[in-house]
Amino acid sequence: MIMLGPLGFTAPWLLLGLLALPILWLILRAVPPAPIRRRFPGVALLLGLSDDDTVTDRTPWWLLLMRMLAVAAVILGLAGPVLNPRGEAGEQAGNGPLLVVMDASWSSAIDWTQRQQALEALLTRAERAGRPVALLRLTAPDEVRFQGADVLKTRLQGILPEPWQPDAARMDRAISLLPDQEFDSYWMSDGLARDSRAAMLSALETHGRVTVFEGPRAHYALLPATYEDGSVTLTLRRLRPGPEAEISVAAHGLDPAGNPAVLMRATAVFDPSATEAALALAMPAELRSRITRFEIEGARSAGAVSLPDDSLRRREVALLAGNENREGLELLSPLHFLHKALEPTADLLDGALGDVLPANPDVIVLADVATLSPGEEAGVLQWVEEGGTLLRFAGPRLAASDVSRDGEDPLMPVRLRVGGRSVGGAMSWGEPKTLAPFTEDSPFYGLRIPADVTISSQVMAQPDPTLAARVIAQLTDGTPLVTRKRMGQGQVVLFHVTANAEWSSLPLSGLFVQMLERLAVSSMPASPDPADLVGTIWQPIRVLDAFGRVVDAGNLPGVAGENLMGASLGPDLQPGLYRGEDRSLARNVMTPDMAFEPAVWPDRIAVEGLSRPDETPLAGWLLALTLLLLIADAIASLALSGRLSGARATKAAAVLLALALAAPQARAQEDAAAILAASEVTLAHVLTGDRQLDDLAQAGLRGLSDVLYFRTSVEPAEPMGVNLETDELAFFPMLYWPVTASQPTPSSEAYARLNDYLRSGGMILFDTRDADVASFGASSPEGRKLQELAAPLDIPPLEPIPQDHVLTRTFYLLQDFPGRYASRDVWVESAPPDAEMIEGMPFRNLNDNVTPVVIGGNDWAAAWAADDRGAPLVRMGSGFAGERQREIAYRFGVNLVMHVLTGNYKSDQVHVPALLDRLGQ
Amino acid sequence: MSDTVTYLRRDAQIEASRFPALLARAEQLAGTVLLGEHGRRRSGMGDDFWQYRPLRSGDSLRSVDWRRSARGDEQFVREREWQIAQSVQLWVDPGASMRFSSSKDLPQKGDRARLIALAASILLIRGGERVGFTGWSLPPRNGDVQVLRLAEALSEDTAEDYALPEHRGIIPHSRAMFVSDFLGDLDTVELALTKAADRGVRGVLLQVLDPTEESFPFKGRTIFESVGGSLAHETLKAGDLRERYLERLIERKARLDHLSRLTGWQYLCHHTDDSAQNALLWVWRAMDGGHG
Repeated sequence: MIMLGPLGFTAPWLLLGLLALPILWLILRAVPPAPIRRRFPGVALLLGLSDDDTVTDRTPWWLLLMRMLAVAAVILGLAGPVLNPRGEAGEQAGNGPLLVVMDASWSSAIDWTQRQQALEALLTRAERAGRPVALLRLTAPDEVRFQGADVLKTRLQGILPEPWQPDAARMDRAISLLPDQEFDSYWMSDGLARDSRAAMLSALETHGRVTVFEGPRAHYALLPATYEDGSVTLTLRRLRPGPEAEISVAAHGLDPAGNPAVLMRATAVFDPSATEAALALAMPAELRSRITRFEIEGARSAGAVSLPDDSLRRREVALLAGNENREGLELLSPLHFLHKALEPTADLLDGALGDVLPANPDVIVLADVATLSPGEEAGVLQWVEEGGTLLRFAGPRLAASDVSRDGEDPLMPVRLRVGGRSVGGAMSWGEPKTLAPFTEDSPFYGLRIPADVTISSQVMAQPDPTLAARVIAQLTDGTPLVTRKRMGQGQVVLFHVTANAEWSSLPLSGLFVQMLERLAVSSMPASPDPADLVGTIWQPIRVLDAFGRVVDAGNLPGVAGENLMGASLGPDLQPGLYRGEDRSLARNVMTPDMAFEPAVWPDRIAVEGLSRPDETPLAGWLLALTLLLLIADAIASLALSGRLSGARATKAAAVLLALALAAPQARAQEDAAAILAASEVTLAHVLTGDRQLDDLAQAGLRGLSDVLYFRTSVEPAEPMGVNLETDELAFFPMLYWPVTASQPTPSSEAYARLNDYLRSGGMILFDTRDADVASFGASSPEGRKLQELAAPLDIPPLEPIPQDHVLTRTFYLLQDFPGRYASRDVWVESAPPDAEMIEGMPFRNLNDNVTPVVIGGNDWAAAWAADDRGAPLVRMGSGFAGERQREIAYRFGVNLVMHVLTGNYKSDQVHVPALLDRLGQ
Repeated sequence: MSDTVTYLRRDAQIEASRFPALLARAEQLAGTVLLGEHGRRRSGMGDDFWQYRPLRSGDSLRSVDWRRSARGDEQFVREREWQIAQSVQLWVDPGASMRFSSSKDLPQKGDRARLIALAASILLIRGGERVGFTGWSLPPRNGDVQVLRLAEALSEDTAEDYALPEHRGIIPHSRAMFVSDFLGDLDTVELALTKAADRGVRGVLLQVLDPTEESFPFKGRTIFESVGGSLAHETLKAGDLRERYLERLIERKARLDHLSRLTGWQYLCHHTDDSAQNALLWVWRAMDGGHG
């Protein structure tokens, strides 16, 4: 292979062919283009004309150049050019075995595809060189076995990163797994600084040369979200300081319909050369609680995803006390210490129980409340069944009441003995009692008990078979201090002491707060102290893979609470969402105290980047270029020799241009027609496809429009022909539809639009134009066609036009509706059967609507038809009688348009007297 | 063949139907004047009233129009319009050079020439003229049958490239119409025109050309061949010839124009991409001699 800069050739000898180009140039130049034979009568005029230039007409230089380029491209293409070939000579020289070390952590997931491609290229080269290759993933070190690169290549797709980092222990194990032989190493680093790298590097260097490979991509990481001052704060970090950058962060969650959606999107801005950016998202509590994950958009890495847990969810706690009206004695208030303990982490609700319940709080605290009204009790019971936590504190009232005395109160975990007891008081023997260590099945297991917590008074639980199971904290003498009963999805917890410091010093201690946390009464701080979690077991619900995808945890084992926050991530502790007894905790890949810095390699180590251009074979491109050049050459040759006639080329170009422009123009035309039709009253006729008939209909409507213009206040625009298939009908008050036996039946879409038109108040005047030969109903070809046409239309029952139909008096008083023929068979929508003549009224009260169709055969358009000057086009009858008939036809047209435009206006009673007068009654 | 005749006749009648009947005006009487239906705008023998004129000495009393004279003291003579029929002779180039069209959208020059010629003939015959061919193949006659004969005679072609105008057998003081592309030898045309002018014949020269003959849109190395194949010209750069070709064409047109002026003829150059009606209108006007 010959190298020319970044270009290499696999068959360089073919390049000698380029030497032939000048010769080819000369040959091509010497040969003129072949002549065309043309028939041309004007040749007589040409005889004797000699060419000015007696030299042979040469191929123009640019055409020659194009041909030369084509030939050169063929030669170059066949010579096998490769851009950026990976030479065997270079950094990975050597034939010994090659160990590919991959960090394979979440941080390398961002550009994993590129890494896979790089690895594939590496394996291809190793295969070519016959080098055995082994793979070592530091996140999951396994036995190192050298094998053929092709074997490894088949497994390539299965090599995936893990959502954790190689920690010191795994590095040590990896070092111990290194075989005892010479090999070169190729370390695909994830780019993060790690203390354990140095040891691994020196171990690898004892075996041979080490090359490091690092991706140049900007790494961003998202720290767990925290909740502060009413907004969710997200912190982003980047690996290397750089210019200002805007990173989009999305909050994913369920929308109100329960579908996954992006609930909020915000942009964090890195200041120039800053490595950290913060972002505050103000969102309502309801939205906050629906968020399932935050992620940096576009970054496929577990480090760019942060799972929120209960720490984002502030619990709503309702506090109720039995006696609160002790003014001035703040410290004695039963709720004072609860207020103090819960205020930082929970939303507190105050109010009557009946007001609080509909708000569906997470926890209701009843401090020394003895009895509830039956209605309240039922409400609380239901609320507890649905997952509420009822936290009760004892007190003098509870001790004095009969609640849960004889039988167990549903809202009490245990039965109580009368009176309770006092120990260590002034009037009693004995010392105040202390707490016994929590048992393993208690939610408080693992909490350290301060020595100064003493109990001096308490209510006593009645011994009971179920009592032992319900005790979750007891005194050193075995008396229950905290009891709990599960009910449905909720629970009832009773502290057998008061919520203030009257009966015990428990509320004064830090243990009280921790106990409330364990009971999920208060929310936990964002990252709980591992010590707080000692003794708890957390079950993974959903875990993250290295690419930041949230997957179901399946049957992964539970994790001890102290490990959950303390231990480093690994196969046994995968990042994800963990559920404890009553709440959930998220273990994210990134933690605030985790280092996120770029790895620094010693100078002696060569570091490669992913950015290195790939090996690109250029032969295909060059050959394609040749093809293009040859096509261009063919066109140019044709043009030069005059075979490509200018007219034809222009026509082709015009056709292309017209195609490109036709659509918008057509639409513009359509719009213009619509605007025209909509801006004035426009009569329309249905285009039948019979040119003569359409013209006559147009002329008829024009004549009618003129008459309307002269005689009435209706001033119609020029009538339009309507194509049922394509045109919008809504603009036209009425359609004149001349029926021919041969016209095409409209499509079903057209019928749908016609029906829409009829339902929305349009009217169609069907005209079979055969009243001279066929009375209506008798079969004429047009009549049959009309039946066929009108069958799919939504037409009400019809009747011959009655004498008192509103059409007879909308403008003129008419009883005949002639067109060119004077048949009385005109049909309209039939009157309702209950329409009756009222005594003293000339007309029945008929339809309230415009009749959707008028059907007749009088050839009205012919009677109305007028040319541009207003002269009638069609002769009618004879002499004055014919003209009289035409006049009545116009009057019918006027009445019809008036009917369409004014509806049943003339049925109105208001005009009855005038009409009566006119009728001479 | 008969189909061609039918179509040609139909097309020609369609063209002819758009014009009022052509009343050709003869300026001079030919010796062989036959009475026809159209007036000469002067008094003479005929049926139609021309004018009343006062009785002059020499008029016989029989010629006095007593009805007119009874209205006054003077006597009037009723004169009639002099009506004659005229002969029109056609020559339509049957040469191979006319069988050419540069594009399939355009008619061949020959078709266009025949169409115009026959349309003019129909108009003339309808106007009472007698129409025939120059030479002795089809002497001028009138009547609808003559239209058929003309159409049939027009559909004959010759194989030679450039036909020469037939100037023999032209009836003196008649009208003539020559339709051709006039790309052949102009001397023959000149001879024919001079001979015709000598006999007092006036007429029209209609040159029918294809648009490409006017624009010469050719480039590159080309061998031009005449339609009949008798002539050929090879050029290496057709584009270079354009200027000189057009010069020659203009010169030729100018010569035709000049020639027609000298002999009292009228000349028009018609292109096949123009409407045939325009040409027919012009022919009608030219034959009518300015009386429209």
